[in-house]
Amino acid sequence: MAGRLSGGGGAAVYTMAAATLVFVAAPLAVVVALSFSEGALATFPPVGFTTAWYEAVIANEEFQNAFMVSVLLALAATATSFALGVPAAYALDRWPVPGARMIEAALLSPFILPILITGLALLQFLAAMKMRDAAVNLFIGHVLVTLPYLVRTVTASLKQVDRSLEEAATTLGAAPWQVFWRVTVPQIVPGIAAGCLFAFMVSFDDFPISFWLGDAETMPLPIFLHSSMSKVFDPSITAMSSLMILTGILAVIGLEKLVGLRRAMSV
Amino acid sequence: MAKGGTATDLALSGLTKVFGTATVVDRVTLRIAAGEMVALLGPSGCGKTTTLRMIAGLVEPTKGEVLIGGYRITRVPSHRRNIGMLFQNYALFPHMSVAANVAFGLQMRGMAKALIQPKVASALALVQLGDYAERLPSALSGGQQQRVALARAIVIEPSLLLLDEPLGALDRNLRESMQVEIRQIQQRLGITAVMVTHDQEEALTMADRVVIMRDGRLEQVGTPAEIYSRPTSRFVASFIGASNFLRGSVAGRNGDQLQVQLASGGQVLVPSADGGRSEILISVRPEAVGLRRIGETPSASESGTPATVQQIVYRGQTTHVHMRLDDGEPFVAFLPNRQGEQAKTFSAGEKVWASWSSQSNWPVADS
Ligand SMILES: Nc1ncnc2c1ncn2[C@@H]1O[C@H](COP(=O)(O)OP(=O)(O)OP(=O)(O)O)[C@@H](O)[C@H]1O
Ligand SMILES: [Mg+2]
Repeated sequence: MAGRLSGGGGAAVYTMAAATLVFVAAPLAVVVALSFSEGALATFPPVGFTTAWYEAVIANEEFQNAFMVSVLLALAATATSFALGVPAAYALDRWPVPGARMIEAALLSPFILPILITGLALLQFLAAMKMRDAAVNLFIGHVLVTLPYLVRTVTASLKQVDRSLEEAATTLGAAPWQVFWRVTVPQIVPGIAAGCLFAFMVSFDDFPISFWLGDAETMPLPIFLHSSMSKVFDPSITAMSSLMILTGILAVIGLEKLVGLRRAMSV
Repeated sequence: MAKGGTATDLALSGLTKVFGTATVVDRVTLRIAAGEMVALLGPSGCGKTTTLRMIAGLVEPTKGEVLIGGYRITRVPSHRRNIGMLFQNYALFPHMSVAANVAFGLQMRGMAKALIQPKVASALALVQLGDYAERLPSALSGGQQQRVALARAIVIEPSLLLLDEPLGALDRNLRESMQVEIRQIQQRLGITAVMVTHDQEEALTMADRVVIMRDGRLEQVGTPAEIYSRPTSRFVASFIGASNFLRGSVAGRNGDQLQVQLASGGQVLVPSADGGRSEILISVRPEAVGLRRIGETPSASESGTPATVQQIVYRGQTTHVHMRLDDGEPFVAFLPNRQGEQAKTFSAGEKVWASWSSQSNWPVADS
């Protein structure tokens, strides 16, 4: 599959990949390095080595609370996006739904609209609806921004499904629902998995929606991080950040174990 | 696997499919006897696949009926039609083992596991893949994959076997052996079968009857020999094998034969039931044609016309001599190389007398 690139094009691709690594991975490495610093401020270079910041962070109830809020919110948003996105993508791709293009565009619109504005609009809308429960509001807001990822990846993998497999199953006596479960789903599992990973990370990482819809009790991790940072910039911030990075890495490893990342990303 | 004894006949009645404004299949009416294998043959886009898919229930006919064993199944959904189908790309389920692929149709019929297992084993044995049961399809060659697909299609004891260019993706040698294998299994099990192909040799080799389609309509239906030796139209004659066409005008009648004056010179006798025509188009197969030097006297039972040799192509079994007639039309002879390179005795630019048995003259419609 992965052919070796040669010539000028190859050099450009390698340069770009290297630059991406440097600009994405190096700052993250700095953050992780600082989280083990014995210094009182999160300034580079780190001094000494300690895990005290992690111990403090993990013992911090506010952090625990924010971490739980974020994990539960991300899981709920991902599960809901899965439950809504897979059937929606299937119907849009396979059934003669009137206005399918419009519906698809609407479902994908959070990709295009500025999320910060979407969040503000949602806040005003929910306030007008007299919905005061921050947990519910956050859930709605997060589903709004995670659903497009499932719709997008599942639609893309449905387009790649070999239709003759479904037809073969049909002629062999499989009813439409049997065709879907026995033949279609196994082929789109990688796309579903990739969509779920994106959805989870987008929600876990989300700032602009949570910024508007969270409150003091229901405060997702990125908001908590931000507000802690404006109080004091000690290495505990970088320890929290490192724990977020770790969560992301664990999600990717989980996906790799489940379906194989290469397959999942080839949507 | 025992012969099911459930062979059923198939009938298509006025089958029509319109996509948008294009009539892709146009009033196709055809009866296929139980146990018969029919090949739909025709140029690309003539509606073969669409016809087959209407039989399978994968495409809904605009008009017309499909009858299996006398029952109208036009409105029966595809998964209740009991049909085995082979696709050009094999369409094996990539996430299931060979055995699971073959078992699929039986599972869909709610058959008990204990009954499925031996049926799968004997179907795989029939296609000589008994040892491959646990492999994934991706670990098989193209020919093996299509044999798995065949096992998967016949294990359900289908009323009908449909094949859409099943061997199109295989190389020539493998294709020929698979043609024989599929044909043998189809005959042994006595399954009624419809095959789509645009490979005329495949159609002639495998089918009891060949259906020539053109622009969505049936052009001619007959046994391979009928289609080959008695094509009704110029289209069929040139689509099946190669053919020379000679224009002529009817000069008189001689019993049940017409005396025809060729535009290229020479008079020939042509079998014909209808003598009303004055202009006629005659098909002559290139392998029926022999060449003489001008001056050698032709025998009385022969037809012939003068021609000029243009090009000589050595093809192994035969040598193709391309000529031009005096009226400017092309003419070709396939000379057998039984005693070495016979055609070498002729050379480009040479004037020759092309001759053939009068029985090789066959009138065709000029369309
Ligand atoms: N779903 C469809 N919508 C619109 N047009 C179609 C559809 N399916 C087939 N056609 C058209 O119908 C015509 C016949 O198609 P069909 O696939 O039956 O041809 P075919 O004889 O099988 O050709 P080939 O030898 O190339 O496979 C083609 O012109 C094709 O473009
Ligand atoms: Mg076709």
